[in-house]
Amino acid sequence: MLLWRIGRHLLSIAGIVLLGGLISATLVRFAPGFDTDEHQFDPHLSAESVRALQESRSGEHNVLRYYTSYLQGALHGDLGVSHALGQPVRTLLRDRWPVTLKVAGIGLLMGWLLATALAFAVSLTRFAAYEILGTTVSGAFLCIPAAVLALLSVIFNAPGYLAIAFIVFPKIYRYTRNLLAKAYGMPHITAARARGLGELRILFWHVLPVAGPQMIALAGITVSIALGASIPVESLCGLPGIGQLAWQAALARDLPLLVNLTALVTLVTLLANSSADVIVYMVRSREA
Amino acid sequence: MICRRIFLRILITLSLLAAIASAQNANELRFCLRAEPKTFDPAKVDDDASLAIRYLTGGVLVRVNRQTQALEPGLAESWKASKDGREITFKLRSGVRFSDGTAFSAVDVAYTVSRLMDPALHSSTGDAFRSGNGTVATRILGPNHISVTFSAPVIGIAALFDQVGIMSSLSPKKEAAVLGPFMVSEYKPGSSVLLKRNPNYWKKDAQGRPLPYLDSIRLDIQPNRDVEALRFRRGELDLINSIDTEYYDRLAASSPSAVHDAGASLDSEFLWFNQVANAPIPEYKRNWFRSTNFRRAVSEAINRADLSRVVFNGHAQPGVGPVSPANKFWFNSKLRAQSYAPDAALQRLQADGFTRQNGSLRDKGGNAVEFSIVTNAGNKSRERMAVMIQEDLGKIGIKVNVVTLDFPSLLERIAQKFNYEAAVLGFQNVDLDPNGQMNIWLSSAEDHAWNPQQKSPETAWEAEIDRLMRAQASGMDPKKRKAAFDRVQEIVVEQAPFLYLVNKDALSAVSTSVEGATPVILSPQTYWNAERLTLRSNAQASR
Repeated sequence: MLLWRIGRHLLSIAGIVLLGGLISATLVRFAPGFDTDEHQFDPHLSAESVRALQESRSGEHNVLRYYTSYLQGALHGDLGVSHALGQPVRTLLRDRWPVTLKVAGIGLLMGWLLATALAFAVSLTRFAAYEILGTTVSGAFLCIPAAVLALLSVIFNAPGYLAIAFIVFPKIYRYTRNLLAKAYGMPHITAARARGLGELRILFWHVLPVAGPQMIALAGITVSIALGASIPVESLCGLPGIGQLAWQAALARDLPLLVNLTALVTLVTLLANSSADVIVYMVRSREA
Repeated sequence: MICRRIFLRILITLSLLAAIASAQNANELRFCLRAEPKTFDPAKVDDDASLAIRYLTGGVLVRVNRQTQALEPGLAESWKASKDGREITFKLRSGVRFSDGTAFSAVDVAYTVSRLMDPALHSSTGDAFRSGNGTVATRILGPNHISVTFSAPVIGIAALFDQVGIMSSLSPKKEAAVLGPFMVSEYKPGSSVLLKRNPNYWKKDAQGRPLPYLDSIRLDIQPNRDVEALRFRRGELDLINSIDTEYYDRLAASSPSAVHDAGASLDSEFLWFNQVANAPIPEYKRNWFRSTNFRRAVSEAINRADLSRVVFNGHAQPGVGPVSPANKFWFNSKLRAQSYAPDAALQRLQADGFTRQNGSLRDKGGNAVEFSIVTNAGNKSRERMAVMIQEDLGKIGIKVNVVTLDFPSLLERIAQKFNYEAAVLGFQNVDLDPNGQMNIWLSSAEDHAWNPQQKSPETAWEAEIDRLMRAQASGMDPKKRKAAFDRVQEIVVEQAPFLYLVNKDALSAVSTSVEGATPVILSPQTYWNAERLTLRSNAQASR
């Protein structure tokens, strides 16, 4: 049953990634300025060179033909060549991915630690001061746009992952706090307290089994939030990761790069969500 | 006791290692590239970042001195161009070696030229040499003698070799084997390029000391100009090659000795109207834009002195014509910047049938004169210039709408769909010789912005410009060429297809720890003499 579930997820991931790539290839074509290359306005270039430059992009005019040849290349490990950077997309992704993995990974971890620590502190102690602090801090960070947090990290010379941590923190805190509040409000928790059970025992034996699966699902979603946040953070902080690459590709209407980045981000997001789904399924089947 | 000794030894060793590490970095110049270099192959360079690396690593036969604008010997001790401009002969330096130790000879020059002129390469550098349809022939006259023959005359032939980085025909390292002062040592994609001193660089200073003085140059890839300025202020960067007015003034306030204004640059900012016959704009508007009187009136109604003063805080000169006054030889000194004359503009418009009704200007057909100006979003100075033009023209009853678009969208509108009315853009001119502007002035050219790719010139004055540009491109007499191009400049000012607004000053910032820097107007403004730059320690610099 578990294997069937995993297989089904993998199949749907493959389908969605392929569809995501096709949609990306189609939408980019409709972006204004798609078919322009500023190099064709280089006054030194001869008419033949300008024509060659224009012809080099002629294969992109038919979406289906482009996507078919892209898929054929991708099967052989050839992801195309970036127009804007003049390098193979495969090399670009290989070089940039570790930076994003580090920045988004550490940011996500820090965001989770901060949010869960505060949410648990509020739920366990039930001090009004903690509640006000948590709501105010998370509310404030929720209001600040990701780009502003990135700029602040540049001004204060702080690492980029700190900006990502503060971007994901309020979302995790608010959701976790609500889950915990809901779990603590259940009648059996009141009964357990009335019988004199310790707070930690209540938390690990009665609250987390209720809130845990949804927190795991939230973990999957926060991966895509962190990836999305890496675009302004990496672009403004000058971090050479996938986010910066995505920004440059969008500005330059770099079709090969955009198609691959869309597929990659879709893949990572779906993998994270599916992994969360499988883990929740495993936890629930063990409980059953 | 033993533990304490071991601890002390470790401490001393660590201190020594730290001292060595800091000493290694002490002689490293740091500045930013604003984009990822697309290539390290000197023949394929077509972007600013790759151009910077080619300048610092590539050995060239002839170098244009960025300060004097004169030609200087490089790898060629001397050269001689034939009278018909079709052939140039170089006498090369002997005993020169590439960075990997491979010997340099005439064979390498022949290899570089044949590679550069390969039609399949579509090299921007190679295309600058293409004046005819025939092939380019190289003749090796000896190990240190070579002649290059072109099928048609090439104007300013020697100066064009300033852009040709010589490659090794024998080295297995190919483009990694260089003849310039520095060589690429490390490339971290998206992050930085480290250039190390070329141990085999041929040049020595007046005292016979080998150049360059610096051990290395670290080029951080940083597209964000705010971050670049911030890092410069923190002392993490030694120079900013080209800086905007806004940052210049901010830096000037905190460290006035670090900023440099080298005067008017070769770059120009201008406005033009869409005159394309089949452009998707109303016919009556096309008629305005095709009227010389209308264009000249708009030109007269723009207060260029205000643009320089307000938008550029005085770091710009009112634009005169196609050539900046900074281009000492080619500028037509008879021309003057258009003075602000709104009354004269109104009179000129009235002569063309325009009338003012309730503060609004109307044409013969009663249409209110209103058009939009497009420019590229994010370029603050252009956005502000467009707004100031909007205000200036509002005073004579013309309503202007300012539209900012991102660069690809803007290019699509002005060069493919012609779906615009007027545009404010700039021209980054790196060539002193007007031959580099052929694709702008010929009516058949792609870059003839106001009405490109004409099958035959649509106006008499464009036909005249075509004739004069071709005459200057085929003549070898500098005086005749100058006379022809002077007339081109006069026609452009009279007909106003481009309304020249300002020539921005060449602004740069150089840390006080850098010695030997003399910023100039030609690119690369600050590190044109990188081989002679030295760094002082921070303590010395602060004194």
